[in-house]
Amino acid sequence: MTGILLYLVFFLIVTLIYSIVVMGLNLQWGYTGLFNAGVVAFYAIGAYGTAVLMGPDRSTLIGGFGLPFPIALIGGMAAAGLGALIVGLAALRLRDDYLAIATFGIAISVQLVALNFEGLTGGAQGLIGLPRPLFSMFDSPNGFNLFYLGFVACMAALVYLALQTALGSPWGRLLKAVREDETAAASLGKNPAMVRLQAFVLGCTLMGLAGGLYVGFIGFVSPLDFLPILTFQIWAMLIVGGSGNTKGAFVGAFAVWGLWSVSGMAVSKLLPVQFQSQGGAIQTMLIGLLIVLTLLFRPRGLIGESETISRHAN
Amino acid sequence: MKKLLLSSICALGAMTGSAMAQDCEIAFGSVLSLTGPNAAIGKAIGDAGQLAVDQFNEAGGAAGCKVRYVLRDDQGQPNVGVDAAKSLVEIDGSPVILGSIASGVTLPILTSVAVPAKVTQISCCSSAPSLTELAAEGGTDGLWFRTLPTSRPQGIVMATLAHEAGLKTMAIVYVNSDYGVGLARDFKEAFEKLGGTVSQMIAYNEQQPSYRVEVNAALQGEPEAMFLVAFPADGATVAREWISFGGSSKLYLSNAMRADEFVHAVGADILVDAVGIDNAQISGESVSSFDAAWEKRFGSAPNGPGLHTMYDATAVALLAMEKAGKPNGRAIADNIRTVTGGEGEVILPGVEGFTRAKQLVAENKPFTYVGATGPITFDANGDVNGPYLIWGVKDGKLTTIDTWDIPRVDAATAAIEK
Repeated sequence: MTGILLYLVFFLIVTLIYSIVVMGLNLQWGYTGLFNAGVVAFYAIGAYGTAVLMGPDRSTLIGGFGLPFPIALIGGMAAAGLGALIVGLAALRLRDDYLAIATFGIAISVQLVALNFEGLTGGAQGLIGLPRPLFSMFDSPNGFNLFYLGFVACMAALVYLALQTALGSPWGRLLKAVREDETAAASLGKNPAMVRLQAFVLGCTLMGLAGGLYVGFIGFVSPLDFLPILTFQIWAMLIVGGSGNTKGAFVGAFAVWGLWSVSGMAVSKLLPVQFQSQGGAIQTMLIGLLIVLTLLFRPRGLIGESETISRHAN
Repeated sequence: MKKLLLSSICALGAMTGSAMAQDCEIAFGSVLSLTGPNAAIGKAIGDAGQLAVDQFNEAGGAAGCKVRYVLRDDQGQPNVGVDAAKSLVEIDGSPVILGSIASGVTLPILTSVAVPAKVTQISCCSSAPSLTELAAEGGTDGLWFRTLPTSRPQGIVMATLAHEAGLKTMAIVYVNSDYGVGLARDFKEAFEKLGGTVSQMIAYNEQQPSYRVEVNAALQGEPEAMFLVAFPADGATVAREWISFGGSSKLYLSNAMRADEFVHAVGADILVDAVGIDNAQISGESVSSFDAAWEKRFGSAPNGPGLHTMYDATAVALLAMEKAGKPNGRAIADNIRTVTGGEGEVILPGVEGFTRAKQLVAENKPFTYVGATGPITFDANGDVNGPYLIWGVKDGKLTTIDTWDIPRVDAATAAIEK
């Protein structure tokens, strides 16, 4: 029984980290209608930024500043935000599928830079031996996991509350206005380009935060952590959870990542021994099937977008 | 509703409780890429682990229990692999993790699951030097092993050869990939420890029409010879240009260039002074014993990467658990060097060998497992050495000049490390 609980703590840490990414994407797609297909790029920048700032000093590497985790985390976020600003200024003039193609290309480029800029990122070898915050304070690794769950949960709650406040404000309505009809928003004297840039940078900064939290938890980072498939997984979480609703980020991350792990467990438990090595393929099909079914029966996601109606309308 | 939930949880608990009382079972967890970029080789590697577990169960199980092989897919993704490993350790209670294939999946499993939970991890297929580095720093807590030789002994053997030939300054030209970078670095470290000097270390990118710039840079400082880490086609271009710009004909060549196309492309007459290295094909009773068992089970020869190393990874873990007498990760890691490494009666792969090993454990006598990859000795970082052959070109043909068996490789490694 304790085993299941220990696993659950581990699982929830990962889920909450993903839910922060999904909240970032929700801000971009769910509220502002920006098709960001390069989620993993900003997640990677945050992760590498944090890793380089807090990693131990090594003769072969440029980085390794050994800074405390919170400072490294903020640095990683800042790096992701800065990256988003540059990308945003260049690419946000593109619409819909064009933006998707551009951001997807950026994600691939970031991964290639991570693979080749050996002096900074360790190349294909990755960065090893990254310290975990306050790890030595705990007698057992389980104590650390519990602490880290608390920390990640606080961060996720903070992000949630901040987003709810921001999205409930006039600025939040402005995002939706730009999503629904840019020309109309512009005719009201708003600057849609600025709004899009704000949403893009803020969302990407959140992705960077999640990347840093991931590194702090795993203690290792390599280019393999940032394959394009992760972008797909995050999108699946957003769609299944319900885009345009911040609560949906939690539901989606929990449901999709849960589906990923539970299907793996179920396949390895239920399949007869001689078919074990076919299990992987069955698991992948199962995941696809369940996502399709969810979308068929709940096309707007598990929690749909809440309607925005004026208080005065009746 | 709450009551229903509570009672069903209780019923579940009771069920697992009674299941445990009836027959004891130890889960042996494996995380491999069954789908994703390594899917083509992953499935067969999974089968190799299954074969070892089945044979051990036929011999009567390990640590007094049946062993249940639980295979999980990492889909080639670190996040999926880590999650699978964590659930194997915490929910299935596996004392070991066998895997994974890609180093980028193996490393996060090691740092975030195996080491914190004190579980032994053995990989069949991850070759990254950073794993050795992490072990040397103490980051693996002695829980990490792999049954696949790294490029390090290859670099050491070549450096020793160059040193024995009386060379003092050498240039290194290498392909810019993790294989090339790793091997070049290993060679440089070993050659300098032996008192030599590396005058230039030049990386080249693959598939260029010419490497004049790289070769000219490598010629700076008048090296007496060149160590070339390359694949045949580009390697031939580099070697030809090296000679035509007046470089020494003493070429030291890495394993991938042991190919006829390389000799033809460069010209056999130019390569008379060249020496190369390659992994020696291991043969012997222990290897054929595994090959025969595989053919009997799957109806084809065990051709493909990782099969022999995965079988040995599983067998070594099972033998160590039998020796330890309990499914405990730390105890298994502590016993891995006891059941390999050369002391006592030789145990071969297969039901017969495992039965004999169990007897010897019961009698508290020493034994040593000689596996599908031949004799296995794990060094302090959990790495193994393999045998090598030294090749050259004679009468226009590739010939084997010398062979380095494992004790000789070990001796050379020890000479570098001291």
